Amino acid sequence: MSLLQLENVSVAYDQQYILKDFNLSVEKGHLISLLGPSGCGKTTTLRLIAGFLDATDGRFAFGGKDYTRVPINKRNFGFVFQSYALFPHMSVYDNVAFGLRLRKVKEDEIKKRVMRMLEIVSLGGFESRFPQALSGGQKQRVAIARALVIEPDLLLFDEPLSNLDANLRVNMRVEIRRIQQELGITAIYVSHDQEECFSISDRVAVMNKGIIEQLDQPSVIFQYPKTEFVARFIGFNNFIAFEEREDEGSFYSLRSGDYHFHAAKAPGMPATMKGAIRPDDLIAGTLAEIQPGDNVLTGKVKVSTYLGRSYQYVVVTPLGEFTVNKEMQQPYANGQEIRLLFPSEKLVLVE
Amino acid sequence: MKKRYLYVLLAPGLLFLTLFMIVPLILTVGSTFFKDGGFTAGIYAQFFKDAYFLDILGTTLLVSVMTTLLCIVIGFPVAYYLSKLPPRKKGIMLALAIFPLLTSSVVRSFSWMIILGKNGLVNNLLTALGIIDEPLSILYTPAAMIIGLVHLFLPLILITLVGVMESIDHDLVRAAQSLGASRLTAFRKIVVPLSIPGLIVGSILVFVGSLTAYTTPALLGGKKRVVATFLYQNAITLNDWQAASAIATIMMIITFVVIGLMNKAAAKFKPKG
Repeated sequence: MSLLQLENVSVAYDQQYILKDFNLSVEKGHLISLLGPSGCGKTTTLRLIAGFLDATDGRFAFGGKDYTRVPINKRNFGFVFQSYALFPHMSVYDNVAFGLRLRKVKEDEIKKRVMRMLEIVSLGGFESRFPQALSGGQKQRVAIARALVIEPDLLLFDEPLSNLDANLRVNMRVEIRRIQQELGITAIYVSHDQEECFSISDRVAVMNKGIIEQLDQPSVIFQYPKTEFVARFIGFNNFIAFEEREDEGSFYSLRSGDYHFHAAKAPGMPATMKGAIRPDDLIAGTLAEIQPGDNVLTGKVKVSTYLGRSYQYVVVTPLGEFTVNKEMQQPYANGQEIRLLFPSEKLVLVE
Repeated sequence: MKKRYLYVLLAPGLLFLTLFMIVPLILTVGSTFFKDGGFTAGIYAQFFKDAYFLDILGTTLLVSVMTTLLCIVIGFPVAYYLSKLPPRKKGIMLALAIFPLLTSSVVRSFSWMIILGKNGLVNNLLTALGIIDEPLSILYTPAAMIIGLVHLFLPLILITLVGVMESIDHDLVRAAQSLGASRLTAFRKIVVPLSIPGLIVGSILVFVGSLTAYTTPALLGGKKRVVATFLYQNAITLNDWQAASAIATIMMIITFVVIGLMNKAAAKFKPKG
């Protein structure tokens, strides 16, 4: 049984739906990410769960109880803000102690717990500083300590790392994952950064226009996006529209114009007429290197760009333009004829 | 140091202030210390021994303090409400709130005389409702002055408070609530302390304004005098300009002391770090 459940939840402002008939369930102890472009409803979902805004419709259950109308301060959820939202008139210690004082915990017990939590987020010795005197990363760790010290039933992260620089982001996400796993806390994490979500989550929900397009383990989404939107969002830039599909048991046999393709079947892969493949998974070669046949297209190099480790080419073929990456010393010339091989286990079908 | 020539831009303003403010101030204060060709502080000793003056000073301070406190109590929640409005609505509401400042203080005071008089709106209403038998004397008391001054100066505290409250990130309130604070506790522990700088600036404006107000206490106070009306009486009616200058000096000193104390209090509430 899942710990948290959103059932047919809708949120609307001025007749505009931000979420419509939205469903989500989260298992205890999991870290689930809501991933999507801005305006997809991920932050709305998080704020709804926190109680910062009300649903126009639907039900929110937590631990088997109806939480739809429970006020923010009775939910016992920790919230980590993008802007950190540390209280500027309080020291680090008082910031972290804030929730415990409201719970009427004894001062010596508060001291023990605050100090231990500051230790966990590697901020021992910072307790008498004020927020202005902290760097971004330190502020965010105080914010995490403040949310964790109340031993929340659920931890909510709203793009917690987007105001930090790149190196710190990587370190902090490892920290967040470590703390979350160490303390066994259920967490929901909102971000528009694909790598960030994939690296720390047990489950990722890719959202678009107020609905979840796909919810699965990061590795599954990475290999088998279900819809064109998800595919594009995670870097499948090449699409082929097929005209015919036949089920051949372990694979699909597909046709577009005079060209024939095979695509290996995978559990959950939709049976559709649209194929997708990453630029990294396409194999490019000269006319001598790759022989014509199934899963092969011949085309002309239109644009070539240097990516550092590899070259990226835009290739014009009878089925449209494809983008391909290839590691090589001597790049192909513009206008050169090359062939593209679509490995059948990398070509996926999407909705 | 290349920008030194920019100080030239200050010259006109500086000249104006020196000629028309600093010199007159020095002359005003200086004149109070000379009597019969000798240097003396006797006029101040005289004032502080005079029960009539002390009574006036007491009334003035009481009226100013009460006005300031009432403005804080009434202004604080209103300012919070205003700061939470959507921008368009906030503009309209703020303009309405500032309206008392835009009307002539004579007109405003006469309106209050009509409302607070023996046969005024308040007394008639209370009598009609049977709450009182005899009309209350509100007009020509310190209470009337306080009512008039609160009406006049409430906008000042609203403007400064709304400015400060707008700059408080609402996520701070949400953070407090998510940590277990009720709306009221979050308001008390987050919004109130973070609004104190604005509150102090607003309070200084209201206090100094009330302390030096002339028209409103003159019209609503009747025979009851405040320092400003007393000063006027000394200068214009009694033609005793030295006494008037001494009163002006006392008012300035009180103002400086109050501003100093409040700034000290403000520094205490400023986030450290």
